[in-house]
Amino acid sequence: MDITENIQNSATVLGLTGRLDGLTSGTLERKVDALLAGGAKRIVFDCGQLLYVSSAGLRVFLSSAKKLKAAGGSAAFAALTPAVREVFELSGFTTMLEIHPDAAAATAAKA
Amino acid sequence: MTPDSRKILTLRNDLAELPRLAAFVDEFCDAVQPGEDDRMALQLVLEEAVTNVINHGYADGQGHEFTVTLQLADEGRVCAVVTDDAAPYDPLTRPPVDVEASLEDRQVGGLGVHLMKRLTQHAHYERRDGKNVLTLERAIRRVS
Repeated sequence: MDITENIQNSATVLGLTGRLDGLTSGTLERKVDALLAGGAKRIVFDCGQLLYVSSAGLRVFLSSAKKLKAAGGSAAFAALTPAVREVFELSGFTTMLEIHPDAAAATAAKA
Repeated sequence: MTPDSRKILTLRNDLAELPRLAAFVDEFCDAVQPGEDDRMALQLVLEEAVTNVINHGYADGQGHEFTVTLQLADEGRVCAVVTDDAAPYDPLTRPPVDVEASLEDRQVGGLGVHLMKRLTQHAHYERRDGKNVLTLERAIRRVS
């Protein structure tokens, strides 16, 4: 998995490409923890190029959203591919998490 | 691929094996030609089962090997079996996940087994000959 990082509208957008699985999820978790330690309040996970997510990835998404909320911030998820959307729906994530059609909408939205 | 042909993969208890598992499932799917949703489901179900064994199966810090088999059980059904010699453990007994919980109340964890059950029609665990045998079956739609 590749992770890109950029700032839009004072939100950190993490662009995820490839597979977020038991092998790669730790990389994302460390990235999010570093951003939180640096004071990030709003993180947008751009999933437009994310082809696959397993429970290990869902776990990082969920714990990231919890940590951000506890820090007075928020997480958003953008541009879900059909495969990722299905896993989100099966896991109840589509109703629990903030989801946007694309990263621009997520950074424009009020956190 | 005709029903009955069975593919076997031996894995070490190391997460670095996951790409080999993914390639194995892809190769099976290339031969069987299920729909894309079935391919993703098989990838996911097997990753969850195998990750459980790797992360929780062996407490001794030693290297171990275990096997995954994939079989087209009949024209519309794939049977996956994960067999390991770790301590007895039935993952299917995990309490269900509350998928309606709010972000604050939602527990982190348990989703792997949840997905395994949701993406299969049949999931069965047994301890046989000193081994954990987890059988997972999914009805598939073949595209050709």
